[in-house]
Amino acid sequence: MSGPETNPPPPLIDRRYIFGLLFRLCANFAGGVAILFVILYFALSRPLPWDYAGVSHALRNLAPFLRPVLAVSVLVYALLACGSTAALCVYILHKVAGPLYRMDLVLDQYRSGAPTRTVSFRNGDQIQPVAQAFNQWIGTLRRDRHRWLATMKDAERHCLQDEATCRAKMEDGLRKVAEDIKRYH
Amino acid sequence: MKNPAPQPSRPRIRYVSPRFQGPAVLAFAAIISIGGAIFWKLVDSEFQRVFLDAAIRGHYTFDSAYDIVRALLASHLAGLFAGVFLAGSVLVLFLIAATRHGISKAVDSLRSSADGDLSTPTGAGLIGEVDRFGRKIDAARSDTLASVLKIRSEVEALAAGGIPPGEFRLRWDDLKQRIREIAP
Repeated sequence: MSGPETNPPPPLIDRRYIFGLLFRLCANFAGGVAILFVILYFALSRPLPWDYAGVSHALRNLAPFLRPVLAVSVLVYALLACGSTAALCVYILHKVAGPLYRMDLVLDQYRSGAPTRTVSFRNGDQIQPVAQAFNQWIGTLRRDRHRWLATMKDAERHCLQDEATCRAKMEDGLRKVAEDIKRYH
Repeated sequence: MKNPAPQPSRPRIRYVSPRFQGPAVLAFAAIISIGGAIFWKLVDSEFQRVFLDAAIRGHYTFDSAYDIVRALLASHLAGLFAGVFLAGSVLVLFLIAATRHGISKAVDSLRSSADGDLSTPTGAGLIGEVDRFGRKIDAARSDTLASVLKIRSEVEALAAGGIPPGEFRLRWDDLKQRIREIAP
């Protein structure tokens, strides 16, 4: 008989996310190269003169003439490709940067002593196991806290009896709590 | 007519993290710029040679300069695309691997915290933002450990006995309050 089936934990970074990023990057760079091609095509496809001497003269002077054209077209390509890649980076990487930022806020809140709520990320966000691990940690801390307080309250119930029994039960409860707390190091 | 109650302003989620996305953007910009510079250098020197060769050959069977450099341009553009895309892909894979490494360390650290280990450093390393996040987790764990150790020493002191009943009761109530403050 097999035990209860548990869902495997989600991957830190989804494979589809990585392929999506690479595909968009590919399309982005291909677009940049296509723009560079179009600029150079229009610069190079001007008809040459019809006569023999004119063609010879034009060809001899074409390379120096094309040098600034080439430089400007490469510059345009670089600017467009850098701009679109920067936008792509910001758009795609916020699926990782967003959860990190959210966890930053949650950790600040936790350290300030404010009540900590269960953390969950947006749909499609990566690094989901971080939220699960954090919730698991806080859950364990809360269970321990409840257990220690329950042990102390249980000892307090004996205070309805005589003082000596109350004190003995309290000290007994404290020893139990001390034993339980030892697992933290 | 009733005025709708003013909606409480929700904190905006910031999507841009300059420490995380900034270096990636700069690295991609460097790859594109280097690729563009190499393309420019190679194509410029090829143009110098090819057009002069065509002029000297003297057999003009083309209508435009594009007909002369069509194949050359196509191969160099393909090279530019392949080079930039391959370098970009390597960068993406490195970024993903480094992020995955750092975040998995952070997850391990949080999981071991649930098992009681609050002192082993996370060591998320490699990427600045992820490393900072790891240090933030360590700070939260360290705060928790400090509180737990304080509670533990107080519990042990009270359990040891020998404290007058009045003081014992005060310290008992104080201890309960301290325990309530853990993970509120």
